[in-house]
Amino acid sequence: MSDTNRRAFLKGSVILPPLAALGVSSASSQQTPAVDELAASAPAAATPAADDYKPTYFTAPEWAFVQAACARLIPNDANGPGALELGVPQFIDRQMGTPYGDAANWFMQGPFFEGAPEFGYQSQLTPKQQYRLGIKAIDAWCAKNLGRTFAALKPEQQDDVLKKVEAGTIKSDEAPLKTFFSGFLLKNVMEGFFGDPMYGGNKNMAAWKLIGHPGARADFMEWVDRPALYPYGPVDLHGRQA
Amino acid sequence: MRLAAQSWLIVILALIAAVAAFGLAINRNLPDPHLGPAMAKRAPNPSRGAYIATLGDCAACHTTPGGAALAGGVPLATPLGSVYSTNITPDREHGIGAYSFTDFARVMRQGVRPDGARLYPAMPYTAYAKVSDEDLQDLFAYLTQKVAAAPAPDRVPGIPWLLRVRWPLALWNKAFLQDARFAPEPAKGAAWNRGAYLVQGLAHCGTCHTPRGLGFQEISVDGGSAFYLSGARLAGESPVNLRGNAGDGLGRWSADEIAELLATGRSPHAAVLGQMGEVVAQSTQFMTPDDRSAIAAYLKSLPPAPEEGRATYAPSGATLAAFMAGRESTVPGARMFMDSCAACHRLSGEGEGRSFPHLGGSPTVLAQHPDSLIRVILKGARLPATEAAPSRLAMPPFGWRYDDQQVAALASFVRQSWGNNAAAVSAEDVERVRKGLR
Repeated sequence: MSDTNRRAFLKGSVILPPLAALGVSSASSQQTPAVDELAASAPAAATPAADDYKPTYFTAPEWAFVQAACARLIPNDANGPGALELGVPQFIDRQMGTPYGDAANWFMQGPFFEGAPEFGYQSQLTPKQQYRLGIKAIDAWCAKNLGRTFAALKPEQQDDVLKKVEAGTIKSDEAPLKTFFSGFLLKNVMEGFFGDPMYGGNKNMAAWKLIGHPGARADFMEWVDRPALYPYGPVDLHGRQA
Repeated sequence: MRLAAQSWLIVILALIAAVAAFGLAINRNLPDPHLGPAMAKRAPNPSRGAYIATLGDCAACHTTPGGAALAGGVPLATPLGSVYSTNITPDREHGIGAYSFTDFARVMRQGVRPDGARLYPAMPYTAYAKVSDEDLQDLFAYLTQKVAAAPAPDRVPGIPWLLRVRWPLALWNKAFLQDARFAPEPAKGAAWNRGAYLVQGLAHCGTCHTPRGLGFQEISVDGGSAFYLSGARLAGESPVNLRGNAGDGLGRWSADEIAELLATGRSPHAAVLGQMGEVVAQSTQFMTPDDRSAIAAYLKSLPPAPEEGRATYAPSGATLAAFMAGRESTVPGARMFMDSCAACHRLSGEGEGRSFPHLGGSPTVLAQHPDSLIRVILKGARLPATEAAPSRLAMPPFGWRYDDQQVAALASFVRQSWGNNAAAVSAEDVERVRKGLR
């Protein structure tokens, strides 16, 4: 995301819910801050992962799917905690409440054609709709072929289903499952896992510690020509250290 | 209780009546502004007066941002409350259109209006008293002939009503006003004398940079004290020490570097902050190079203020070495510096040329009062745009990111690293400055 988009995203994540209730597009309400409003360079308030989080977009069956998928896509294993432990499901639920969830700043007018990948996203489905239809179709496939919903399957079965969805061998007339998996579910899980903790995922910067990423420190000029490992732990956008 | 309150009231009223009578007696006689006899024959030069207005930076206090030029209304904080600058356009009712030159000179030198009312010394007439007859006359010609009249009435001061009586300022003047023109010292040369005349007079540097006494008076207005221009604390900022101290002063600066800062707002040592940015943008960048150099020459001639209680600076690589060795964690504030500051100011504290200020030996960092340092951490800053250096480089604010305790630790780290040796900053200091920002 470009810097401008990121800001719009941050800003939108705060103002969208009331605007959505009024049916107003958030894009028109964005205002360019005056040059001297230095305070505007501060990010939105941090709302890190909450232990007692209740989803606002996903229904109970959808929430069970998202949690189960997170637990398999980045599992809790010898390397460290996984996507479920780091709050990624709530990151995705909250992400659906931003302009992104409604594709509010994408071009979403017809005509809609199947296109080669280099032409970008061609569907008229918003990210919210992708999740709603995609989860329903996968759960339906699991129920029909394996006798249970996705969340109730064994981990090995879940991995198998996800691999088949990704490969395009599980198809549905109701949802573009391959696009849902690669373009939304997997992508959003990675965003939540590696994004700043202020958005609800990457709890306590554990994902950054896992890969040795120092976080939002902006500059490492003094270290570039040194052979030794960088010795400092990460910092998040709100200055918290880990 | 009630009786006690009433008797107190009577005593206070009697006191007010007594001193008011005394005050009226003082007010009756308008002081003589001591204009030379040659003034009556001299033809004033309003164009030259425009430059005098620039040197004096009249607009800084008398022009509201976005408002009519020199129509007043800018709030100025005093210990008793805000006072508002007045309309100095030629409007006859609200401005100075009905003033004679003598009236104007009296205001500029003695702080007394034609109706006998006293100005609050927020108007730096103690400095303007140094200004020559000729410069005043040209300034008056400029203000009355070249400035557009604006019918803007003066604003009532935000000072409690009882304390708004102005006659005690006559006593203040008796105690603190040196009604004397600048006296050249020929032995020091033309540049020094021009610089001293500007610094003490029109440029009124001491208004912000000289510490004040119990009466809120500048403790020296003519360079006679070793504390003249030695740094102060005013309106949420801590204007720096302009004397020759190697730590918090300009001792390690060359005269050219001082002149460069006045022209561009930046130098290899530091960049301007806060209100000094406005001074550079509105006044010093438009001075002639000779005048800026004269000011620099005069400032460089000021010996260090007494070092007692002042910060020192002895450049040291120990801070950088500790960072590179991964040892920051033993020093509070170091990690915050690395997280939030080092991208621009570098782990060495050296910054980058004239873009990101050098923090080792920075007068603002080392100032006796840490207010400006705290303020810039909390609120960020933006360089003024000048003709020679138009980029308005900015530092983002960190007040949203760190609480008072954290800012205190960060500011203390900055004041005690790279060879800086200044007193630590307390969370109470930060709390006080933060409150002043709201």
